[in-house]
Amino acid sequence: MLTYLVRRLLLMIPTLLGITIVVFAVMALSPGGVGAQLATETMDMKPQERQAIMDYYNKRYGLDQPAPVQYLRWLNNVSPIGFTVNNDGSLGTFSFTKGMDLGDSFHYGRPVSDILAERIPITLLLNVITIPLIYVLAIAIGVKAATDRGGRFDVGSSVIMLALWAIPTMLAGVLLLGFFANVQQWHWFPTAGIGSRAAQDMPFMPHWGSLWDVGLLFLGVILGTGLAVWLSRWDEVKKRALVSGGVGALIGLWMAAAHAEHVWFNWIALPVLGAAIGYGLGKMPSFAWRVATLGIIGTGMGIVLATQLMGPGFVRGFLFDRIWHLVLPIICLSYGGFAALAKLTRTSLLENLSSDYARTARAKGLSDKDVLWKHVFRNSLLPLITVTAGLLPSLLSGSLIVENIFSINGMGQLAVEAVKSRDREMVLSITWISGFLTLVGYLIADLLYTLVDPRVSYD
Amino acid sequence: MTNKAQLSKAQVSRESFGRMIWKRTLGGVGVKLALTWVGILVIAAVFAPFLANSMPLIMSKDGEVSMPVLRYLDTEDAAVLAAFVTLIGLWLLPMHLKLRSWLMWIVGVTAAVAVLASLMLKPPQLIIYDDFRTAAYTEVDWRLMPPIPYAPTDYLRDQRALPLQAPSIQHWLGTEENGGDVLSRMIHASRIALSIGIVATSIAMVIGVIIGGFMGYFSGLVDMIGMRLVEVFESIPTLFLLLTFVAFFGRSLYMMMIIIGVTSWSGYARYIRAEFLKLRKQDYVQAAVASGLPLRSILFRHMLPNGVAPLLVAMSFGVAAAILAEATLSFLGLGLVDAPSWGQMLNQAVKSATFNWWMAVFPGGAIFMTVFAYTLIGEAFRDAIDPTLARATGVN
Repeated sequence: MLTYLVRRLLLMIPTLLGITIVVFAVMALSPGGVGAQLATETMDMKPQERQAIMDYYNKRYGLDQPAPVQYLRWLNNVSPIGFTVNNDGSLGTFSFTKGMDLGDSFHYGRPVSDILAERIPITLLLNVITIPLIYVLAIAIGVKAATDRGGRFDVGSSVIMLALWAIPTMLAGVLLLGFFANVQQWHWFPTAGIGSRAAQDMPFMPHWGSLWDVGLLFLGVILGTGLAVWLSRWDEVKKRALVSGGVGALIGLWMAAAHAEHVWFNWIALPVLGAAIGYGLGKMPSFAWRVATLGIIGTGMGIVLATQLMGPGFVRGFLFDRIWHLVLPIICLSYGGFAALAKLTRTSLLENLSSDYARTARAKGLSDKDVLWKHVFRNSLLPLITVTAGLLPSLLSGSLIVENIFSINGMGQLAVEAVKSRDREMVLSITWISGFLTLVGYLIADLLYTLVDPRVSYD
Repeated sequence: MTNKAQLSKAQVSRESFGRMIWKRTLGGVGVKLALTWVGILVIAAVFAPFLANSMPLIMSKDGEVSMPVLRYLDTEDAAVLAAFVTLIGLWLLPMHLKLRSWLMWIVGVTAAVAVLASLMLKPPQLIIYDDFRTAAYTEVDWRLMPPIPYAPTDYLRDQRALPLQAPSIQHWLGTEENGGDVLSRMIHASRIALSIGIVATSIAMVIGVIIGGFMGYFSGLVDMIGMRLVEVFESIPTLFLLLTFVAFFGRSLYMMMIIIGVTSWSGYARYIRAEFLKLRKQDYVQAAVASGLPLRSILFRHMLPNGVAPLLVAMSFGVAAAILAEATLSFLGLGLVDAPSWGQMLNQAVKSATFNWWMAVFPGGAIFMTVFAYTLIGEAFRDAIDPTLARATGVN
């Protein structure tokens, strides 16, 4: 195992070199080269100052030297072992402990490593929340669709998943931002960033003005959830569906009233839509799904009602503020991958359910539940793990768009800025770091494979 | 095997494999809708200047009949029209041509028309759209306007109407922040989306097939080096590579096609490599090698046809991905500068001070529909060529 790991890690080196060479070649071959941006940025300086800056960069990065030499210099700076560089730009002695130097950003005038240290955690936060969310939802829906093959849930969810998969992230982002974070429409969520300035001074946890308010919130949650669960347990299907449809219509009416302007279309469309969704949820034959969906809606309504009745003196707190800011970006980032994974889970489960060993298990007299969870489920995870590897690069690309829409200062936003301002050091660093993360993703996927499937071993 | 015995000769289908696949692909409702949408887009893209333009299509003034729209056609319009007419002609005429001669005909006629048009057509450099609303064009005996009487870059400066109007009778899908008609811009943008989708995917496929073919056929050292190259292109997030390419090179339409093509070939290469690794030890390939055929013939005439159907599936998904890539680049402000594109219109919707839903919903919806349509076609096609389903039709 250890030798395999070492070999894989060593094999990453040529790939990383290749990545940086490709990106460096693109930059070097482009008309004007890297220096073009520098020349325009220093346009309004005095000639001597300009010359001094150019000289400094030429000495530090060798911009006046041929491209292959420039690349080697950059490589030497970045690699943890190599030659030390003297102050006048000449190479010193070979050293094993000189450390990595990612250089200075031309555009920001600060060390690249400092900027990256600020930005990477934000992007990672987005992705770390998104990945488990995607998997849990995708597996839940995929399993349900596969066990209900050809049924209403299966067909419906298949169409919805395919449509979700095809919705471009930018369209979803623009619409969510436009409708739910906009003063003209429903201003429920913040417009930009991942935290408000005021939240910097708040305590971590939220706190309330009086004990009565806490009690009210508690009561709201209990009442909302309790009523919803009671509704979902009601045996008479027709009455249950009608009641939940009525609740849906009420929510629709409330949304129409909450809109900033008085639009007649909202007053008709939203209650109808709410009623239809409520009716559909109430009609669902699966008890667990009913409890889950109706329960969540009930809890949400309880919280909303309680906050309407609460007195002043409520402080959001850092945690709540962050969550509130992250809702829309996370939705945007997760729906596409979730749809793809749910479809994959479904096909993989179906394939395994119709295989010989599943038939044998059923012939032994095992219940469907045991066949599904004890025999088939683990085998169906294999393709899911394979795509984990591809998920990370696509999420990084996705966060590029999402961060751009929601003005989140993460690595994606930084990448767009760096590329637009032709910031050589920054572009190269971001490239190899995202390439490295991707390769690590592949490696983790391969290692997970051995965990799930004992037949696979890499020795 | 009992199945086979039961089939009498009359029951075995005598249709060609291609026709059978085609029939099976067209089975579902979703695919028909998807093909209809793509068809609408093609019509919109080809006839864009006749569908949405400020000048009359045909008018009669003082007994003299003229077609002002023809005067403003440029080389690109002529080439697109020529390609479309050739395609329709080849399809309708009862000629049984090979794929290669099809392609040669289309490319040849298009190129000839493009060269002729660039010599003969001299559209005015500067078009003042306001002129078309003066007496010279309006006070006529009779005239026929395009269905959408606004050019994409006609900002209606003379009409003193406020920009950013919601959809109305005059502007079916509203106007954007400069006052241009959204529907007109969308129709002209469909040309960019479709052409980038098809050309970029073709470039990617040609590169992928050649590199993948060499990797699979030679294996060994070539394969190892090739696989590292594939890995390099796969582990940089595609969007990021695209951004770098676009930012450092120009932003013309043709550059975008090449860039999207060059950054997305790795999947095709991987697939062809795997297929060729399987095929290279087959008897018929060995026979081709033994009879001394040139490498080109072995690779592309003997081996490639065996793996071409799944490649077409991949191509359908690839077109969707390329259209999405172009839209994303335009959305991030790195797309074409002067021509309208769906992604750029979506970007306008975000960047403007107020949220105007018609500027987000319609162009975004067009991107969604197109991507969805190509995905549906790809899925249906994949199901049709799936060998596990072939048993039902008596193929094996």
